[in-house]
Amino acid sequence: MQRRTFLQGLAAAGVLGSMPFGFANAITQASSVSVDSLPKLEGDLTLYLGRGEGGLYENVLEAIKKRNPKLNLKIRRGGSAALANTIVAETRAGVKRADLFWAVDTGSIGVVTDAGAAKPLPVDLTAQLKDGFQYSSWSPVTGRVRTLPYNTQRVSPDQIPDSIMALADTDLAIGWAPAYASFQSFVTAMRVLEGEKATENWLKGINRNAKKYAGELGVVMGVERGEVDMGFANHYYTLRLKSGKPDANVDLAYTKNDAGCLVNASGIVALSDGDLPVNFIRYLLTQEVQSYLASEAYEIPLVQNVAQPQGLASLDTLSPPDMDLRKLADLRPTLNLMRKVGVL
Amino acid sequence: MTSSLKKLSALAFVSAFSFSIASTPAFANGVISEHVNNLQAHIGEYTEEVQWLEEKFGGVISAYETKDNSVKTDALIEYWEEVDFHSAIETQYVPIYASIWQGIYGVKMAIDNGKPIADVRAEQAKLNQALWQALGAVKLASQYQKQGLVKAVQTTDVEPTTPPEVISDIKKRIDRVVAKYAEQLHEVATTLVHDTYLQRFEGVEGALITLDAELVEALEKDFNVTLPQAIAQDKGVDAVRSVVDAMQEKLDRARTLLVEAEKGRKDVF
Repeated sequence: MQRRTFLQGLAAAGVLGSMPFGFANAITQASSVSVDSLPKLEGDLTLYLGRGEGGLYENVLEAIKKRNPKLNLKIRRGGSAALANTIVAETRAGVKRADLFWAVDTGSIGVVTDAGAAKPLPVDLTAQLKDGFQYSSWSPVTGRVRTLPYNTQRVSPDQIPDSIMALADTDLAIGWAPAYASFQSFVTAMRVLEGEKATENWLKGINRNAKKYAGELGVVMGVERGEVDMGFANHYYTLRLKSGKPDANVDLAYTKNDAGCLVNASGIVALSDGDLPVNFIRYLLTQEVQSYLASEAYEIPLVQNVAQPQGLASLDTLSPPDMDLRKLADLRPTLNLMRKVGVL
Repeated sequence: MTSSLKKLSALAFVSAFSFSIASTPAFANGVISEHVNNLQAHIGEYTEEVQWLEEKFGGVISAYETKDNSVKTDALIEYWEEVDFHSAIETQYVPIYASIWQGIYGVKMAIDNGKPIADVRAEQAKLNQALWQALGAVKLASQYQKQGLVKAVQTTDVEPTTPPEVISDIKKRIDRVVAKYAEQLHEVATTLVHDTYLQRFEGVEGALITLDAELVEALEKDFNVTLPQAIAQDKGVDAVRSVVDAMQEKLDRARTLLVEAEKGRKDVF
């Protein structure tokens, strides 16, 4: 939903007047808020937390707990996909153990929302998120964009097409990590956007000149060493490598309006009714938490008016495809296709 | 306690114990019962079991020496899996646990391949040495346990949370790779390497690469090339252990860097 349309509808419904002052203010500004404006969290909450961000989410949770001594936060950790399946199973069995689910990928969020386990979020909360990232039943927290890291000694930016599909027709040596979850989400996006046959042909085309790596940091490092001309990877690996090795022979290119520049997101779902789970989510969308994750984890803040990590093109200048990220949950056909083509 | 065991510093031991308890992925050989959390009370039994094992292993070897055609070397493994001492050392100090498996297979392969009795006796000596080293390790662990320096063995998975904890968990897991390889479970060992990379190292390498890109590069190669190849090419327990030992040193450096980085990290609020 476009933000302007959304706000007009909201005002017409007279919703703004019924909000607490701080939240109403947030809507009219549609901006991030400071943690100082949020209510204290009190009571019991159980959070299912998907692993994979290297401990920085833990720092955020510790900070929230420290700020809210009357909050009794219990955390169950595991892989995002496994936890999503657990939540679905618990929901079907009528046993609710989690109040919140914070996943590192949107596919896992889709599994939970499709099962009807998610509670609707208030509009004043979702209004803080950037256009294209406002959903009624879950909240993105931070994002990551698919990029084309390239070796600056081997290729120039103008040799790299701005269409992901056109890459299959080039002779560029490409590094990829087909077994890696983020890559598989990207192929899922391509399948949704371009269709099964086009994706199959693309996989075959890329596979001609591809070198396989276990993970996407490995891809970026292979690009930097000059083992390949370019690769497919989430943006933060390159930014982190350049932070540790400023003269690294690698830079980022982006495609336009296709799966090659998909912005995927970590996200959170409220699984219980009431203010406490929702207010907990508000903490994750504060200026402070969003800035922290941007500067420390190189993740892309998805609320308004928070600076992006250094070295990344502005989100405004990127043109990610228009798609419901929850469709990334439809992974099985992707894996079948990748096996059929022989890249898995 | 043997001289080589004495060389292990108390610090290294406490550290190693903490690796073993951070989480408890499936132990391959039966149920871990509560005795592992009360080692002191069971030292006498463990000592008897080590003596019993020495005797049983010796019996198999003596039968081989007398050209007894009914010798079944699988019995060596069955004896080892029968004793409580097995889980005592498995839960407390995986490197020596791996040495016992290495010793058992050393004897077994020497017999199965019809080697001269002198060769078999040489393997037996190494096995016995590993068993007594292990008993020494368990006795030392029992002291630390009594003083409350090691936590109870967990029976369910506990996820490490901070980057230094993740590194500790990785160190424990790759020790288990050597143990699984020594148990001749090569596919299990390879899967463990792969899972450790994807489920653990992947989570910290992003932070680590900002601190020391070359170290990450070296560990990437270890996880994805050197260690899997050492297992796939069946280079032997000593060769696999050598790769893991080199990785342990790099991981120690990684942990130090991550601990320092956490100290300097800005506050969330």
